Amino acid sequence: MILDEIREAYVKDLLTKGKRADGRGMLDYREIRIEKGIIANAEGSALASIGDTKVLAGIKFDIVEPFKDKPEEGTIVVNSEFSPVAHPEFSAGPPNEYSIELARVVDRGLRSAEVVDPKKLFIQEGKALGVFIDLYTLDNCGNLIDTAALAAMAALKCARVPKYDAEKQQLLREDFVGPLELARTVVTCSFEKIDGKTIIDASGEEEIASYGRVTIATCDGEMVCAAQKSGAAGFTADEIMGIIDVAIAKGNELRQKV
Amino acid sequence: MNENIQLIKDGKRIDGRAFNELRELKITAGVLKKADGSAFIEWGKNKVLAAVYRPREVLPKHLTNPYKAIVNCRYAMAPFSSTEEHGRSGPNRRSVEIGKVAKHVFENAILIKSFPNTMIDVHMEVLQSDGGTRVAGITAASVALADAGVPIKDLVCGVSVGKIGGEIVVDLNKEEDNQGSGDMPIVLSLRSGEVLLWQMDGMFTKEEIRKCFDKAFEAATKIREIQEAALKARCEAVYQTPEEGYEAKPDKFTDENKGIEVV
Amino acid sequence: MSDSEKRIVLPGETVSDSPYRSEGTFVENGKTYASIVSLMYEGKVIPLKGYYIPKYSDYAIGIVVEERFNGYVVDLNSPYAGQLSSRESREQFKIGDVISAKIISVNEVKEAVLVEPRRFWGGEIIEIEYVKVPRVIGKNASMLQLLKQYTKTDIFVGKNGRIYLKGGDTALTSLVILKICREAHTSGLTDRVKEFLEKETKTGI
Repeated sequence: MILDEIREAYVKDLLTKGKRADGRGMLDYREIRIEKGIIANAEGSALASIGDTKVLAGIKFDIVEPFKDKPEEGTIVVNSEFSPVAHPEFSAGPPNEYSIELARVVDRGLRSAEVVDPKKLFIQEGKALGVFIDLYTLDNCGNLIDTAALAAMAALKCARVPKYDAEKQQLLREDFVGPLELARTVVTCSFEKIDGKTIIDASGEEEIASYGRVTIATCDGEMVCAAQKSGAAGFTADEIMGIIDVAIAKGNELRQKV
Repeated sequence: MNENIQLIKDGKRIDGRAFNELRELKITAGVLKKADGSAFIEWGKNKVLAAVYRPREVLPKHLTNPYKAIVNCRYAMAPFSSTEEHGRSGPNRRSVEIGKVAKHVFENAILIKSFPNTMIDVHMEVLQSDGGTRVAGITAASVALADAGVPIKDLVCGVSVGKIGGEIVVDLNKEEDNQGSGDMPIVLSLRSGEVLLWQMDGMFTKEEIRKCFDKAFEAATKIREIQEAALKARCEAVYQTPEEGYEAKPDKFTDENKGIEVV
Repeated sequence: MSDSEKRIVLPGETVSDSPYRSEGTFVENGKTYASIVSLMYEGKVIPLKGYYIPKYSDYAIGIVVEERFNGYVVDLNSPYAGQLSSRESREQFKIGDVISAKIISVNEVKEAVLVEPRRFWGGEIIEIEYVKVPRVIGKNASMLQLLKQYTKTDIFVGKNGRIYLKGGDTALTSLVILKICREAHTSGLTDRVKEFLEKETKTGI
């Protein structure tokens, strides 16, 4: 806690001088790297890193029973796991509220933009494909949501749909029908408010100093497809509109990297 | 999100409301005896109970913060609250997320630095749901905080805004929420003009989002009036406000520093 | 804004365009706003609710809740407890003892250090909302004098909203104190209390 205070003071001090600890501009991302298909046993996978933050996304397909109110649709499930390898304060066990928030924000973006059409996952009555996207946080150095969204999108892009064997009523995981059809590319941009200044892609230290965050998910065609305000800070409507402008512009850059 | 049913007919919504029209809204403050502050909100078919407990010792102890009070915020839906099947009791991912973003609202609204080393509990219990329960719960909890005497910077107001049939409308009901092309719950402080909670799903253009915020602020002025009426009614019930003028200034003790003893 | 009229102010309402420090308000960007449901009268904000925070040199009524190797932890009807060093008293206290004590200092996390402990023997304790304490005391302790005169009860009012009663008609005293709290912000209260006490003591005897 004392260490946090010292770091916080340092971050704020730098920001008043218009600087960030790693020399970035207020609206610059750290280096973004994406490796696709690194887990051979998963039907789709990607490791995304923004700076030192690393999130691994893995995709598995399963046969599921459609929901009663949507009998002709498959399901898409996003889960998040804050592994203890990623941060000294992460512990094994049921997901905490940060982990749940991350999964739900990524999920909202993908769902709102209908990246995967659930109707196309339908197989036959009582049977449909379930797409399980698991987001594994491996190294938490700030801005997990954007990293996780990149990993999820990249993993979806390289996912292959296993063939369904109607006789055995199971998936043949060595045999693929083809790539998963994707309608759009969704990315998120997270902004943190520190002492009245708004920065993008906060590092771990900056997150400690932050008073609040806004995450904006955008997809092709300059559409905003999900948003989440988090943390105690308030944002005026004008501030949010400014943030959306940046999110749309940065989103276009991020989309090219996926 | 595609809309499967027609949600707007002849410029009216399925329940006959205009685009800017709120459902009937009623708030009663001080409905519970044991809680330090409480409020019951009936908003359309939504019924949400909010209760607040005064600042007290933090449990578990290691969460204690020597600089400010921590806010515990719980949002829960009763298993019988929706029109669908029996819900699962206990927290699910949705309620945990809502509890988290609601907590941030109250961390902003409550003067948490006045109460270091304590925790303040805010509970929102959804008894009947019909779309927009989180904003209803937060609107009620804000009244409950004032009723409890927890110092707050403003009575925050919540409302959901969304897009149905290409139109921006306020206060979505369950059907509009489920079938519409997007919604955004918004909680704001009229005093500071700040947005304290903003979530969004569905696809919106930038211009549509701007319009949503404008409509939310417009609706909030109406909601705040109802919150104020609830608190004033509560004051009158409790304090029996006199007809004539109030004669005394706050009394000073004869000796500012002493308790008074009469023997 | 008419200053001479009493009105209710709600959290977030502007009470002054200049900074003004008072209980139940906060200052932001040079303006003062209410933070608690309050009465506003003659430019003053009188909170109708609130929680006791230990203040230097207050006399409070506490309950011993914990014994430690060097003293006691005392509940003060507040989110914050008081610390009483065993050096302050020759007496030994037990958990559950009711004491009066003076607050000699309050640290940055609002914990109070207590001195001059005095144990109450017998009698009764009633708890009221701490914002009503000034009403129970009255101007120049007028209300207390009145109570004492009619009920013959010894009364000690702790600033933290606890009141100790002993002797005389304690039942009537607590009844009247609760009445005062209920009608705390109405005018002509002292007269009404007097009337009530006169009636009650006459019929009682």
